[in-house]
Amino acid sequence: MNIHFKIPTALLDEVLADLKRPHPFAAERLGFLAGKCCSSREGLLLIAHSYLVTPDDWYIDDNAYGCVFGPQAIRAAMQVCLDKKACMFHVHLHDHEGIPTFSRADLRESANFIPDFFNVRPEIPHGAVVLSSDKAVGLCWYPSREKPMRINKFSGVGFPMRHVGRL
Amino acid sequence: MASVQHIAELNQVCGGEATEYHEFGLHYILLPALRLPQGCTPGIVDALLSLSPRENYPTRLFFAQQVQSKNPLNWNSQSVPILQRTWFAYSWNYVTNDSRPLEVLANHMKALQ
Amino acid sequence: MKEQFSRQCFLGADSEQLFASLRAGIVGLGGGGSHIAQQLAHLGVGHFALFDPDVMEMPNLNRTVGATHQDAVAGLPKVRIAERLITGVNPSAVVWPIQKPWQQDFLALRACDVVFGCLDGFTLRAQLEESCRRALIPLIDIGMDVHEASPYSIAGQMVSSMPGGPCFRCVQLFKEADLNEEAARYGAAGENPQVIWPNGILASTAIGFFVQLFTPWCDADNANAFIGYDGNRLGLEHDVRLAHAPRCGHFKGIADLGDPFWQAEL
Repeated sequence: MNIHFKIPTALLDEVLADLKRPHPFAAERLGFLAGKCCSSREGLLLIAHSYLVTPDDWYIDDNAYGCVFGPQAIRAAMQVCLDKKACMFHVHLHDHEGIPTFSRADLRESANFIPDFFNVRPEIPHGAVVLSSDKAVGLCWYPSREKPMRINKFSGVGFPMRHVGRL
Repeated sequence: MASVQHIAELNQVCGGEATEYHEFGLHYILLPALRLPQGCTPGIVDALLSLSPRENYPTRLFFAQQVQSKNPLNWNSQSVPILQRTWFAYSWNYVTNDSRPLEVLANHMKALQ
Repeated sequence: MKEQFSRQCFLGADSEQLFASLRAGIVGLGGGGSHIAQQLAHLGVGHFALFDPDVMEMPNLNRTVGATHQDAVAGLPKVRIAERLITGVNPSAVVWPIQKPWQQDFLALRACDVVFGCLDGFTLRAQLEESCRRALIPLIDIGMDVHEASPYSIAGQMVSSMPGGPCFRCVQLFKEADLNEEAARYGAAGENPQVIWPNGILASTAIGFFVQLFTPWCDADNANAFIGYDGNRLGLEHDVRLAHAPRCGHFKGIADLGDPFWQAEL
């Protein structure tokens, strides 16, 4: 299945600006994108609508990992997921140019908590996205499928279009 | 917004759960497997009750397909995209939205009798 | 870069690959849409979704680019004429010729990276805009009319509807009263006069916007476009309605995105 993730460029800029802010102790920031989905002849469209900022005091100071979020962050994301019937995508930034990659820790932690969104909204997809300053990668957990699928294409929709193309 | 009571009333005439939707500022109630009056073909069809004014109608009843009824109707809205499905509606005007949704629905269904 | 695109290399080193990867939807393959199809093919756009239920008729021949006299005699579907036009220029183009109203194939529309609206009537424009906004697809609309006015006047416009930007209602391309009036006429457009050259000008303007949208060749700030065409004075002008358009309040909620009835394939 082809999976295409679309985000308004204004929202993308908002996300990048937030994720680039330094944090008192976390090496990386994170947030959640809420959106909707639909099918197309090519496969699945994921459409981002809004961004949940993780406040500074919702991070946990953990020496083992660069970025750990506390229960308030996941609770807030779960609430949006439930209330808005939203597809939820965890997002963080690797601040370089070029195609980013999921680290082993990213993959392990995503696999731990992303499927929890199915406890709230089992009927829609959820996932995780890693941004760089100009590219993105992502994984999508599709309802009733155990393993996540790679997001094939990212589009920043605005004037001009950004991040267009297949990774 | 329709009340829980209003939705419960609509559920009595549907084969599934009546559900409210809003699209671009307009208010709809989906009526899955709505049971139509005798003489209609098909006898059961998904319907969408629009409780907001659109296209010169204060309210409107859309169907997932054209329905054959005892008296011929003017199906003047064809393949109207709402909520990413296409709908059909006959011309039946002046049903205002100042009564319960079930009554609005009943007033629209009079055309099929 | 292929030799056929060597003269447009200023559009960017990746422009050939970019255009080849894009899918353009063209809704309406008459006077306006046929021009759009031709120019996109020449640019090297690689994928097309063509929507038009109609067949070619003799009165269409004065303005349908790519159509022949034989097509009008035979009543060839307009999407097939456009398909032939596109693949004649770009044999590797992938074309979906959809001979039905676009409302009957949401899946194909949503697969488009950009949609060109070349329809008659405000209601159809409003419906197309709603579906494009739901799938976060830039919509570029063109239209023209010949009006009876001492004795005639030709007017038209190219309007963009970008997600997050002002919509057709915001820029007053039409108002609710226009939609209601059209509904009262049961949408009948009648047989209005139509000619080829305004369609060509508006289609070219639309293509110019499309190229700026997808390639970095110039830094003009045309984030949203409303270009009016005066066919009597032969001029294009930015319409003031865009400058006065409010922040769009018509498309803003999360519920207005995606497919409310989406179900996973099991």
